[in-house]
Amino acid sequence: MNDLCADIGYKSINHYGEQLCGDHVDVIEQGDNSTVVVLADGLGSGVKASILSTLTSKIISTMMAAGMPLEECVSAVAATLPVSSEHGVAYSTFTIIHLLNNQTAELIQYDNPHVILLRDGVNYDYPKTEMNIGGKQIFKSSIPLRENDAFIAMSDGCPHAGIGIEYNFGWAIEDITSFMETIILAGYTAKTLSTMLVDECYKLYGGEPKDDVTSCVVRIRKREPMNLLFGPPSNRDDCDRMMSLFFSKEGKHIICGGTTSTIASQFLRKPLKPSLNFEGSDLPPTAELEGVDLVTEGVITIARVLEYAKDYLKDNDRYEDWGMKRDGAALISRFLFEEATDINFFVGRAINPAHQNPDLPITFSIKMSLAEELVDCLRQMGKRVKVSYF
Amino acid sequence: MKVTVCIGSSCHIKGSRQVVEQFQQLIADNGLKEKVDLGGTFCMGKCQQGVCVTVDDQFYSVSPETAEEFFNTNIKAKV
Repeated sequence: MNDLCADIGYKSINHYGEQLCGDHVDVIEQGDNSTVVVLADGLGSGVKASILSTLTSKIISTMMAAGMPLEECVSAVAATLPVSSEHGVAYSTFTIIHLLNNQTAELIQYDNPHVILLRDGVNYDYPKTEMNIGGKQIFKSSIPLRENDAFIAMSDGCPHAGIGIEYNFGWAIEDITSFMETIILAGYTAKTLSTMLVDECYKLYGGEPKDDVTSCVVRIRKREPMNLLFGPPSNRDDCDRMMSLFFSKEGKHIICGGTTSTIASQFLRKPLKPSLNFEGSDLPPTAELEGVDLVTEGVITIARVLEYAKDYLKDNDRYEDWGMKRDGAALISRFLFEEATDINFFVGRAINPAHQNPDLPITFSIKMSLAEELVDCLRQMGKRVKVSYF
Repeated sequence: MKVTVCIGSSCHIKGSRQVVEQFQQLIADNGLKEKVDLGGTFCMGKCQQGVCVTVDDQFYSVSPETAEEFFNTNIKAKV
């Protein structure tokens, strides 16, 4: 065991004019510290390609996670895939990134562009062993993991980007590598990195991709605990207990809510200094409190964080909003989405009498469902989240 | 003179941002930056009467519509 963990994110865009993507990524966790990631690219585009790649990635990820040998996975795929009437073959390429105990990465690659490995921000040429399974030429590598390793897997839609438009022969792997080298050290999440790569391809295609484009990034990083306090406890006598539990935790501390931060400032015996700088945002400003990394307003800010979280899990169109701005919601989003891996939520269930006014769009049930939905989103991002109610 | 405006959730929805921005502008226009200390605070516990404002610990209820008039009678006139 070590204190490393994997941040995994991927994004696809469809062949121009297609409703479905012919590439498919599957991530299956195998216990606490092992994960199987499969990126499959089905022959052609549209429905058929989508069926081929979905079947391939699902079969391989499920079988690998169950501990089956590679040969059986590959032959199961070959025996299952429907033969295309048009091409006379059943064909889907795949890339497997198998993380074992967060110590080793096993790469198995079949006909996709080779996975790029950036170690400490620069390209690292890892050894590959050629194998032949059922007539398929497969490359296998086993790489001991280090902090800051980043694996970038992609479908051939990436290197084909811009063929005949921007470049004669598409976007060369070497150029993709140097593109990724320039953005890798900025601390972006795997999801954001894959989004940036795919967006760049989209531009090179002139907005009309001639192939499905997918990239999947796996970043190896240290575990980073984070604590978030949201709302005062339902019983006033629990304030001290809630605060001492919250402040005894390792990692950064975020407090959301006006009353909550006032209670914290009394507990810490430090002054709470709200700022009047709105940072050009429509959200309430943040505040400063010694001993706390970030103090923000409550429901309105958290509602915005939840919007960002939902978008992040889907299209990640708003990463420029939460990634660059300096308002409360953007700051929380960067802490939670980018930095944190293990998050402790301390949710207070006090009912704010002022919020029970029917004119206001905030009610107790909205507040509770905000917390629940946000926890759910963070879990989907692969974070370990613990929630305690007070 | 110390002027404090609530920037908590409830007052925010009732327009505390506009009140703050109007005050900031009015203070600058009247050259009162040295004399008026404008600050924010989280909930004052009187959300029903928001936007909550205190002038030297005296409580007032202000809205974006009444902010300028409030400034003239309770801040500018008393500095």
